Amino acid sequence: MGGFLRRHKHAVPYLLLAPGLLWLTVFYVLPGFQMFMTSLWSGTLETGYEFALSNVSNYTEALTRFWPQFSRSILYGAAATALTFAISYPLAYTIAFRGGRYKNLLLFLVVAPFFTSFLLRTVSWTIILGDTGILLGPLKEIGVLPAEFQLLSTPIAVVAGITYNFLPFMTLPIYVSLEKIDKRLVEAAEDLFATSFGAFRRITLPLSLPGIFAGSLLTFIPAMGDYVNAELLGNTETTMIGNVIQNQFLTQNNYPTASALSFILMAGILIAVAVYARLLGTDELTAGGV
Amino acid sequence: MTASGMTMARPKGTFSERFVRFWNRYLLFIFTGLAILYLMAPVIVIALFSFNDPAGKSNFVWQGFTLDAWLDPFGVAGLQSAVAVSLGIAFASTIISTILGTLIALAIARHVFRGRSATNLFIFLPMATPEIVLGASLLTLFVAIGAPPFFPLSAGTILIAHIMFSISFVVVTVRARLAGFPTHLEEAAMDLGANEITTFRKVTFPLILPGVMAAALLVFSLSIDDFVITNFTAGGTVTFPMFIYAKARIGIPPEVNVIGTIIFLTAVGLVALSTVLSRRRTMRDERLARMQIAEDHK
Amino acid sequence: MNPDPETRGRGLSRRHFIQGSSLAGFAVFLAACGRAGISNAPSAAPSAAPTAGSTSGASVAPSAAVEPTPKPTTSAELNWANWTYYMDIDPDDSNKFKTLEDFKAEYGTTVNYQEVIDDNDGFIGTIRPQLQFGQDTGWDLIVVTDWMAARLIRLGWVEQMDPGNMPNVVANLQDVYKDVAWDPTNDHHVPWQSGMTGLGYDHKKTGDLTSLNALFDLKYKGSIVYLTEMRDTLGLTMLKLGLEPSTATTEDCDAAVAEIKRAQDEGMRAVFKGNKYAEFLKSGNAVLSMAWSGDMIQALLDKPSLRFTIADEGGMLWTDNVMIPNGSQHAYTAQVMIDFCYRPEIAAQIEAYVNYICPVKGADQILLAENPDIANNPLIFPPPEILARLHIFNGLDEAAEKYFNDKFSTLTGLG
Repeated sequence: MGGFLRRHKHAVPYLLLAPGLLWLTVFYVLPGFQMFMTSLWSGTLETGYEFALSNVSNYTEALTRFWPQFSRSILYGAAATALTFAISYPLAYTIAFRGGRYKNLLLFLVVAPFFTSFLLRTVSWTIILGDTGILLGPLKEIGVLPAEFQLLSTPIAVVAGITYNFLPFMTLPIYVSLEKIDKRLVEAAEDLFATSFGAFRRITLPLSLPGIFAGSLLTFIPAMGDYVNAELLGNTETTMIGNVIQNQFLTQNNYPTASALSFILMAGILIAVAVYARLLGTDELTAGGV
Repeated sequence: MTASGMTMARPKGTFSERFVRFWNRYLLFIFTGLAILYLMAPVIVIALFSFNDPAGKSNFVWQGFTLDAWLDPFGVAGLQSAVAVSLGIAFASTIISTILGTLIALAIARHVFRGRSATNLFIFLPMATPEIVLGASLLTLFVAIGAPPFFPLSAGTILIAHIMFSISFVVVTVRARLAGFPTHLEEAAMDLGANEITTFRKVTFPLILPGVMAAALLVFSLSIDDFVITNFTAGGTVTFPMFIYAKARIGIPPEVNVIGTIIFLTAVGLVALSTVLSRRRTMRDERLARMQIAEDHK
Repeated sequence: MNPDPETRGRGLSRRHFIQGSSLAGFAVFLAACGRAGISNAPSAAPSAAPTAGSTSGASVAPSAAVEPTPKPTTSAELNWANWTYYMDIDPDDSNKFKTLEDFKAEYGTTVNYQEVIDDNDGFIGTIRPQLQFGQDTGWDLIVVTDWMAARLIRLGWVEQMDPGNMPNVVANLQDVYKDVAWDPTNDHHVPWQSGMTGLGYDHKKTGDLTSLNALFDLKYKGSIVYLTEMRDTLGLTMLKLGLEPSTATTEDCDAAVAEIKRAQDEGMRAVFKGNKYAEFLKSGNAVLSMAWSGDMIQALLDKPSLRFTIADEGGMLWTDNVMIPNGSQHAYTAQVMIDFCYRPEIAAQIEAYVNYICPVKGADQILLAENPDIANNPLIFPPPEILARLHIFNGLDEAAEKYFNDKFSTLTGLG
């Protein structure tokens, strides 16, 4: 085996890729292709559907009609990503540099809440955030907040919900990249730059960029397409593109529009990823071609 | 973040500097404590309501304390099998998708090859695809094939779907670990005569292990909690999330809270236990690894 | 969850009971309100009522259970997908369903009963490709609401049943349910449970409510829930406007949508919820909601200050129906199962747990003796004065359905 690998070095990356990519080809690309065909259909469930390239208008129509939900998804997704970062970085930093032998345990505490059901957690949040719940009830009682103050069914609740539910997706990659930083390097930098903040800015932060990049993607991408938080914690003014896709697909039986919306969403996300990679300057570090 | 940077306290400086450093260091731990509390808050409420004694079918308003649900956590029709199915699928899909995803991450981060950028781009697509459309078109594929093991639908088809949507998350997480990692360790091992397999086992794998573990944790949580795609690929199989969604119509019974709490406590307990043992083990492993490389070299 | 009937009785006894034969009332109501979508036999009402006065009460069920003559043999297994809390839990073993155990004892069939339906659209979405390809969905019995049942029949996605296999259904189905427009041959669906949509409110916060105007009263702004179920929300709004939901036209739809939009523009801040509305009422996030009768019986146990009312302007009536999807492997046994549930004593056993409205004649008579709290509960066996105010939403064709859904989605932020 080792000998074979050495003789066919160029084959190694393809061998590594093969099983995973094969899986994705059969179970993602094939259905995805079918989804693409669907997006160019016209017709209804009862009259039957017809494929035509001219139905590319499905895309323009969907984009104009649902633009408010698209822009809201971008906004909420970005806000939630920023919030998860603000919470995750210090958290991951503490675990990586000061966790000591409790590193794994602390890390696990970050993920373990997500082994319980999403629905249970959201029910808990509605109990906590409710108009007269654990949080607002007492504050209203002592008059800090007006009686009609609400968190539930507002954009705040939706963004907070997304932030909560994707937090580990930010914390873990940041931790993973912080953890590999050589502590001696940081110490040397502190002596060199005289302040610990200087050392942080010039050494720790840049070295953790791959983690920040990965974490942002793992948070932002699914957050953009999320619909459950908006549905359970939001209101009619907080609907995201995921909610529209859900509704078009299941309730309206409008499979072409739902598929077209999905491809627009995917395209938008890829563009956002590329722009972000440029801004963060991590192309060569992580993304290569992106 | 600023605070975190400043906490690298050095035992020098004036009183005020030391005060600031102390405060910042203190703040970092307070912040971490609060963050953990924030993460735990729903779990605490879930655990609390597992002791509730609801008068009706729902478990939303505190009615009184009881141990009933804890004494018979599977006393609800269908709950036991749902939990078993979900745990089984979560473990299997975590193992398989972590392996497949790590291999892809290694290929992308460690090798230059034709199609690398395309692969890179491609990896993001499954994460960016709305679950509902993904689930529905996957179902159409299974039905169109119309033969085992894809049809009739079963726990196996759920597993296929979970592995599919987990792979990308593994790739991105493991790559965050590999990015910027010096390759000289591997090169050194090869120079010393270790073959690819040994190099991977003794050098590469220990290096990426934290990333692999993080990825495994993430995709486990994705799998055990997925509803939408599972719902499309399940057929007559009922998973834990499907069970809860169906119950949510009128009320989730406290037994579900008990199961949620038990899963949480078991997981944390196991890790706490291993934490106690891990230090000694890692030290011993490292020593053995060093000896092994030396031996291979001979 | 607590299936203990005594606990329930405690909650229910707070409500005023309305005595009298609800069955008779049901029939009268059907005659009373003209319904499109469901065309009732014009003269059915008075005669078909199981001798309205039949005060002999519990002693005799109006029609005894008829043993079906099983021509083919029943299968060893049967796969049934249903909504949660729609089948009676065995009081002796909370892991079993009593009715299904009884069925097994008699026919030897093990029923793989799964509570996987939490939403009509969501569930049918998961079996649509099988139905389209004519493949086995894995289910022999499914339960969906009228409008979805109509759609499935229209699409030809469900099996025809043989009334000869279901003598109890023929004998005991309430007449009101017969001859619906969307199942002209009357052999593609069997009603499982019905429910009412009305006002659910916190009496402590609102006092007595009798009018749908409350749903548009700015007094309750920020504390009000409308349903994501289009037919319920538009239906109640039409009733508020004096329009008839059972013959709803696109103009009626526009009027109702405009009315809700007006309220929202004035600052109503109503939340649209599906299954979650009851939690909003219980937690105090809402004081007033459009609500389903069976849910409110449960919610009452958690929060006694909650009330459910069919307003003076009226309320909506809907039915969930059992159907056999195409490709079912055990279609015959499925019919035997349905028929089994239409024996009055079995129907009564199910009803004592389920608490929605039972479509089986004679079940109330049996319950009157065994469980008077339930038999007398106006939400489970609604009295004539309530039934007279109920309306069934118009059976929409595909084009109309799309129009209504599109308009409605502009209200819920999805359009």
